[in-house]
Amino acid sequence: MQRRDFFKLSLVASTLVLTSSASTLLTREPLDSQQISKIAFPEKKPLITYSDRPPILETPIEVFTKAITPNDEFFVRWHMPSIPTHKNIDLYTINVLGEVHNPLLISLKELKNDYEQVEITAVMQCGGNSRSAFVPTTSGIQWGNGAMGCAKWRGARLKDILKKAKLTKDARWIGLNGDDKASFNKTENFMRELELHEIDDNVIIAYEMNGEELPFLNGYPVRLIIPGSYSDSWVKMLNHITVMKEYKALYYMDTAYRIPDNECECETADNLYKKTKPITSMNIKSVIAHPTSNTKIKVNSHIIVKGIAFDSGHGIKEVLVSVDGGTSWQTTELGKELSLFAFREFNFAFRPKGKGDITLMVKAINNIGEEQPFAKDIAWNHGGYKYNGIDSVTISVI
Amino acid sequence: MRKFLLMILLFLTSTLLAKYTEEVKLPSITFKMAKDENFKVMQRNCQWCHSYGYILNQGKQSREFWNKSVVKMRKAYKAPISTRDEKIITDYLFKHYGNGELK
Repeated sequence: MQRRDFFKLSLVASTLVLTSSASTLLTREPLDSQQISKIAFPEKKPLITYSDRPPILETPIEVFTKAITPNDEFFVRWHMPSIPTHKNIDLYTINVLGEVHNPLLISLKELKNDYEQVEITAVMQCGGNSRSAFVPTTSGIQWGNGAMGCAKWRGARLKDILKKAKLTKDARWIGLNGDDKASFNKTENFMRELELHEIDDNVIIAYEMNGEELPFLNGYPVRLIIPGSYSDSWVKMLNHITVMKEYKALYYMDTAYRIPDNECECETADNLYKKTKPITSMNIKSVIAHPTSNTKIKVNSHIIVKGIAFDSGHGIKEVLVSVDGGTSWQTTELGKELSLFAFREFNFAFRPKGKGDITLMVKAINNIGEEQPFAKDIAWNHGGYKYNGIDSVTISVI
Repeated sequence: MRKFLLMILLFLTSTLLAKYTEEVKLPSITFKMAKDENFKVMQRNCQWCHSYGYILNQGKQSREFWNKSVVKMRKAYKAPISTRDEKIITDYLFKHYGNGELK
């Protein structure tokens, strides 16, 4: 995995040398912390561990041979150091207040019994997933490709809850707040806002993940699910929904999770683009989960390239593979479509005929014809968001 | 009979709900940091909110990068870092986790 990351970094770095001033560039070794930790967190297998407080864990690449990411391997990203345990779960409530005629205090039992229950399989991906590919380094966790996962979520529609709360005629925005806490009173808690038109039937408050209760670290007992969007607004341990007339200025809305508001969504470190926009909808992406970069195989032996592809909900039309470094492309076999918002498995069997290094590349194309750019064509942004370059793995045939 | 089944179902639901009866304890991981005379200043300012993993994960960076990071902690996250400590922490980070470049 390290060599793979290094390969990716050097690809991006070499492109930047051609296009921007050399003084801003650093060629970087892959990060040691991308090794799997020996220490396991509660309900998790040992994962790539960036921080224990707040907990930040990445899913190893090998897990993405399957469309469903197991709960105990699902990535974790909190912002605040203090995460309470809800020991008396019967007292847990979701408080719906603000511009409503009928304020609600919804218990978990009510959430499960008083609202229609819906299920949706959807990808959850951090906006900064694969950030370590960006050179120069941006601030933020230097993720590999594992700040994502796909699960079957079950819960109640946010729309139905808002309907029961009876919004006033002036209601336009809703604020979402989880129960994790900062160390200082003055530090803003992790709060996000959605405009009412962003809340469609797929947006649910989920209490179940792959048929089980949510793991503590994934937001037990409930979190918001917004299929197709980056997970910055998928608030964990959700306990406050505040309906508002107007947008409220917040750090996690106005400063974090934003990209340049221009066509390429790009800028340079020396010349940051002033106008920004939220990251919102996910772009098309795929990763190779098998084989990994340090793989050696014998000449003429069979190998199956496996991985997953996804987008924001248009659906994956095809996934192409190249065994000659991107010169020619062939179709792969796709797995079942679990939902338009889910990971789609692909696999491709081949038999290398000659010795030497082979670079495998994979490119996804969705139902509206969008496809992934080459890694070298990904332009930089200051937050290191939305990386979706064509994934490459180099293996040795011996 | 239906009532009986419902009661079993309710019982099962309630046992499922009573999942975390004790405080969930997260493991404490040691991220080894360089020790020098400024270490303690860095420690008492940074550790309130996050582990050292956050620092190490950034890799070797310029002095400006580290200074901006420290200032961000004060301005965006309201950490009470004095101007004096800001300089000491920046010195510490650049000395041990710097790439030799000022900008």
